[in-house]
Amino acid sequence: MNSIELESVNKFFGTHHAVSDMSFIVPEGAVYGFLGPNGAGKTSTIRMIMSILYPDSGVLRVLGDEQPERVKDRLGYLPEEKGLYKKMKVKEIITYFGTLKGMARRAAATAADQLLVRFGLDDAANKRCEELSKGMGQKVQIISTLIHDPALVILDEPFSGLDPINVELVRDIILDLKRQGKTVIFSTHIMEQAEQICDSILLINKGQKLIDGRVPEVKGRFSSTLLIEYEGDASNLQRKGIIRVNNMGNSAELSIEEGTDTQALMRELMDAVTLKSFTLKEPSLHEIFVRTVGESDA
Amino acid sequence: MNRMLLIAFREFLENVRTKGFWFGILMMPVVLLLVGIVPIIVENTRVAKSFAVIDETGVVMDAVKQEMSIRDFRYLLTDFSKGEEDMLPDFLAVFFPEVRALNEDTQEKIVNFLFHDGYLDTSLTRRLTNQLTQHRTAIIEWWQELSDEERSRFSGSMSSNYFRLMDVRNIDQLNEMIESEELFAYFVIGRNVVEDGSGAKYVSNNLTDRDLEIWFGELVSQYVRDQRLSHSDIDADIADWINEAVSFEGVTLGKDGETEEVDSTDIARQWAPVVFVYFLWISVMINTQMLITNTIEEKSNKLVEVLLSSVSAISLMGGKIIGIAGTGLTIITAWLIMALAFFIGLPLAAGIELPIDLSSVMADPWFLGSFVMYFLLGYLFYAALLVGLGSLCNNLKEAQNLIMPVQLIQMVPIFLMIPIGRDPNGSLAQVLSYIPPLTPFVMMNRAAGPPSTEEYVITTLLLIVSIIIAFWLAAKVFRVGILMTGKPPGVKEIFRLLRAPVTRRASN
Repeated sequence: MNSIELESVNKFFGTHHAVSDMSFIVPEGAVYGFLGPNGAGKTSTIRMIMSILYPDSGVLRVLGDEQPERVKDRLGYLPEEKGLYKKMKVKEIITYFGTLKGMARRAAATAADQLLVRFGLDDAANKRCEELSKGMGQKVQIISTLIHDPALVILDEPFSGLDPINVELVRDIILDLKRQGKTVIFSTHIMEQAEQICDSILLINKGQKLIDGRVPEVKGRFSSTLLIEYEGDASNLQRKGIIRVNNMGNSAELSIEEGTDTQALMRELMDAVTLKSFTLKEPSLHEIFVRTVGESDA
Repeated sequence: MNRMLLIAFREFLENVRTKGFWFGILMMPVVLLLVGIVPIIVENTRVAKSFAVIDETGVVMDAVKQEMSIRDFRYLLTDFSKGEEDMLPDFLAVFFPEVRALNEDTQEKIVNFLFHDGYLDTSLTRRLTNQLTQHRTAIIEWWQELSDEERSRFSGSMSSNYFRLMDVRNIDQLNEMIESEELFAYFVIGRNVVEDGSGAKYVSNNLTDRDLEIWFGELVSQYVRDQRLSHSDIDADIADWINEAVSFEGVTLGKDGETEEVDSTDIARQWAPVVFVYFLWISVMINTQMLITNTIEEKSNKLVEVLLSSVSAISLMGGKIIGIAGTGLTIITAWLIMALAFFIGLPLAAGIELPIDLSSVMADPWFLGSFVMYFLLGYLFYAALLVGLGSLCNNLKEAQNLIMPVQLIQMVPIFLMIPIGRDPNGSLAQVLSYIPPLTPFVMMNRAAGPPSTEEYVITTLLLIVSIIIAFWLAAKVFRVGILMTGKPPGVKEIFRLLRAPVTRRASN
């Protein structure tokens, strides 16, 4: 079964076509990445899944239901911009969000206790939210998202603004949810994170889908890249058969055109610069992102 | 609905459990009490204005002093300070309480009898008539020998509490004293004051405070008038009759069309609605302001989206409005309890007599009921308008500009309070009752009238319909506005939002 299905969904804000003819499928149990530059339509798409916005046309099925507001209680959502009631106590606010998701107060309080222990926050249960550090606040928000044991968890830019320790924390939570068989969707514009965690991705730009599918499939659709370490003049790297040079100074990622003789190309490069190492590999999501978004913008 | 109540309950708790909330509730009556008491204290601690008189006739001042003494004696009867009975001479103390208990007209006749050879009222008991006749001379002598200080202990109304006559007659010395502010003013009574009023002068460096001038001028005028009457060979009784002012007896029509006498309670009843309107207005203002602040805080704290992932925008809006309504009801209930305790409980428990008896007004279920009902209706109407507009703003500053027109309308009832209180069933009051934003305040204002049943029914229906429309419009704006970031929209864009259809599947 699929957790989410979109068929030709459109969303306008006034004259702005925020989401255009969007169709994709999120399989149950997947860790699914929404990738795209800022303003691509990721948040609007997520808000439609959460029934915060409604599509102007198209079909949107969430957990098999064509009226997503009916399954709101089985979804967990952590928006990119999130806050807490400063004056409320930690356990109180988590319980409150649980009851808003339809839990009985007592059940929510029990679940809050368990999650606070699991996240190492049991000492902070009676602290006011305004007393929390940023990382602790982040944990409280995540607990509030998970308290009702949702079948589908949506995290909008969960890594933005986090220090490395908290990035790791959030990543572990996502992987843990995956182990429990939950479907997790998260949006990001940092490709390295998506590459590490996602089974499948959706790449959108300007409200339109560019690519979607399982990560290996997506990568397979793109020609290989050549990773090199070199010394010499970078302008010599630009030659026939190379679509794009992602130069990093001492190393570079070269996107190779489909059907190019890579052996001949490497011999050419050896003459052009001092080549210290080279690897032929499938393209990174970053490379795919830059290439496809660049093409769609062009 | 259940979720809406969860939101409402949280909102209510958040407000009600802060110390500031209860402090604010307690401060209100304290402030009112201060507003009531401070002028009285200021009045009581006022220093008497000293003045002097140059009497060129040599006779006017003796008569004026005599009249001052008589007026003060009148205050002894009408405005006696409790607890000073020991100061009275024994012959007066015996029947003084009986005299005190008489009405002012009869007391006036006693003063006339004592000082002007007038007749005693035939309604007096024989014992009292005998006592007064027997001790007349003793009373006059006792009174005339008392100093200003001694007299002023009997009553705060004695003239020496306000104006103190200094015995200085040298004009240079007087001018110096005015200059050095030792003296507030001096009068010159011209030689021919009785003949043509000429030569009357009032000298002071303060010509704005006219209390002394008016008071003394009236005393001298009375003497001059009496003199002119007697010079014209008019009989003293006829002169009195000419001088006698007409005093109107306050009467109102009772329910059965019979006339009833007006006392202070009736006047309190007439004006009590104004007090209720004032409190109604404050309550509505406080609570709609609270609603706006909470909405914008929630928006700027980035809580809105989290909430909307669990509840619909309409439940969120409804929950907030209900929650703050609960807060408002708590406030007005607390105020009403305090008012009941003060106006009914305190007099009963401590046996203290309040200057105005408001117990009948405070215990009137009609006033209390309309107060609570009009609070709710007024609050709901403005809450809907303001929460809609507030949802479009990211901070209070933006909100202040946007809600200004609504707040101007909210100010109107304050300006209307007194004119409507004067004429609760006048055409101004009647017309304004049908303007829904003003209905709660104007109808409360008219409660003493009271308006007819038809008026109550029609205006309330109009108001309820307006509230429903306001909610419908607010919902349209709120569901878009609450997620909006950046510059708040202009009037044009707001109208565009209002024209968009509201269906479940409608664009946001």
